[in-house]
Amino acid sequence: MNLTERCLSRRSLLKSFGLASGAIGVSRWLGSNAAMAQEPGAQKAVESFTGPGANPHWNSVGPYVAEPQKVPLILLTDRPVQLETPRHYFRTAFTPNEAFYVRWHLEGIPNAVDLKDWKLQIEGNVNKPFALSLPELMQKFKPVSLAAVNQCSGNSRSRLQPRVPGGQWGNGAMGNAMWTGVRLRELLDMAGVKSGSLQVQFQGLETGQGPKGLGSNLFLKSLDLGNPVLDECVVAYLMNGEPLPMLNGFPVRLVVPGYFATYWTKCLTWVRILNAPDENFWMKTGYRVPDTPRGNTTPDDVKAGNVKTVPIERFPVRSFLISPDGSSKIPAGMNITLRGIAFSGFGRVNAVEVSDDGGKNWVAARLGEDHGAYSFRTWEMPWTAKSPGRYTLAVRATDEKNNTQPDEPTWNPGGYLWNRIERQEIVVGNAS
Amino acid sequence: MKNRVSAIFVVMCGWVVAGGIVYADLKKGHYRPEELGSMRQAARTDLSPDSNYQVPAYPVPAGDLAPGEGLQDVQIYCNTCHSPRYITMQPPLSTATWEAEVSKMNKTFGAAIPEDNAKRIIVYLQAHYAPENRKQ
Repeated sequence: MNLTERCLSRRSLLKSFGLASGAIGVSRWLGSNAAMAQEPGAQKAVESFTGPGANPHWNSVGPYVAEPQKVPLILLTDRPVQLETPRHYFRTAFTPNEAFYVRWHLEGIPNAVDLKDWKLQIEGNVNKPFALSLPELMQKFKPVSLAAVNQCSGNSRSRLQPRVPGGQWGNGAMGNAMWTGVRLRELLDMAGVKSGSLQVQFQGLETGQGPKGLGSNLFLKSLDLGNPVLDECVVAYLMNGEPLPMLNGFPVRLVVPGYFATYWTKCLTWVRILNAPDENFWMKTGYRVPDTPRGNTTPDDVKAGNVKTVPIERFPVRSFLISPDGSSKIPAGMNITLRGIAFSGFGRVNAVEVSDDGGKNWVAARLGEDHGAYSFRTWEMPWTAKSPGRYTLAVRATDEKNNTQPDEPTWNPGGYLWNRIERQEIVVGNAS
Repeated sequence: MKNRVSAIFVVMCGWVVAGGIVYADLKKGHYRPEELGSMRQAARTDLSPDSNYQVPAYPVPAGDLAPGEGLQDVQIYCNTCHSPRYITMQPPLSTATWEAEVSKMNKTFGAAIPEDNAKRIIVYLQAHYAPENRKQ
């Protein structure tokens, strides 16, 4: 029976009751109208690109793709691989390995690692260079575990105005895991760093087609030997109690708590002590931010060439509303729970506040379990909208150093350090 | 009086019945045929207890670069280091930004794209991926 027939038959039925006018009243009373009784259309797909305005969606707009050891994730690029984690995987403090975002720089990434050949090598300006197999890493050192957020420097790059080239991430280039492994400091001490050394350089199994010596050939990152973060670094062979997925850096990856993921070298294989500053592309040119508050600058200042830059380091405080995500209507008067996460690269989050009037008034949310200074911290808050309408929910976090999320955008040519207060429109419907 | 009460009663019964019919129609499921997506569940791979840890090849879904003059140059040169999705993933970018991007590939990353080809690539990107002309 098609739609017209069904409508006709209903009309004739109603006529036989002699109650056509009554039925119209009932339809109204049920909140029905012509549109509601119509057959729904197919679900529409999101647009294939956003811009030149800011990406209005929580995530980026790519299609889903199923990569090895992964659930379907949002495809940014396929070679090299960049995949974004969909919003709903952030309901919990720990991000599942199979949903953890992926970002490689060069196309030569391993499909296989043979552990009979693989060794972690500590070399360069040291007294005693050495190499360790995975069993040696697991057995010779006391394992340490720590919860830490891994966030891409370009997370939320698609928010910037004007838009900048690069991976057009929404908010899903981040994840939190319990990392277990060996303290980097123990490895450095074992090798004996020679006096006069300046930096420690990290290299993984990633290689590119470009000429030797250029950023298109190797991806290299370095940290100053005087940087206290080295005492917190872990060479991790476990991620949430499981081996790392190949795309997240099997067999070991460097964990640099509080720092953007550019330093978290995947498939870490060479730890090299340098006696001169690392001047490779990924330190001298890439991953640098203006030496200004929030790395903020303007296209004009960049063009004029008067922007001094420094290597990107710690990530600023951020918070997100994860559910509801605005995709479904909420009946007025229903007591729902708002849920989300918050984190900071500068220490513990100790307050999350929520606004339901677009940021005018704020109410403190209840914080979830504390998994450590560098972990996601979940938050929740009961919320009831008494009357139907559109509500703009906003969320902001404050960390233990008293850093609070600002409500102003930031802009730099790399598309880094975005941490503006997030907003989400929620539609509340009539409940009767 | 009695007649009026029974009349109201009959009308109300009618309303309830009619309401039921309308409501039944509202909650009926609607379905429509659609193409099955290409994203199938992955089969388990055979694992052997040796020291080699291997995963299947990483998929490269077909790209959809705009047709036009210079497309072939893009496919030959840009594809060396990255798939075309690096282009289509970008937001619409200004003509100056596209020129700078191609120049960066040559000067910073050593792509060694001959001058004529690089020019054609720039013109192609500016013609299809700028704010004023981007379609897909």
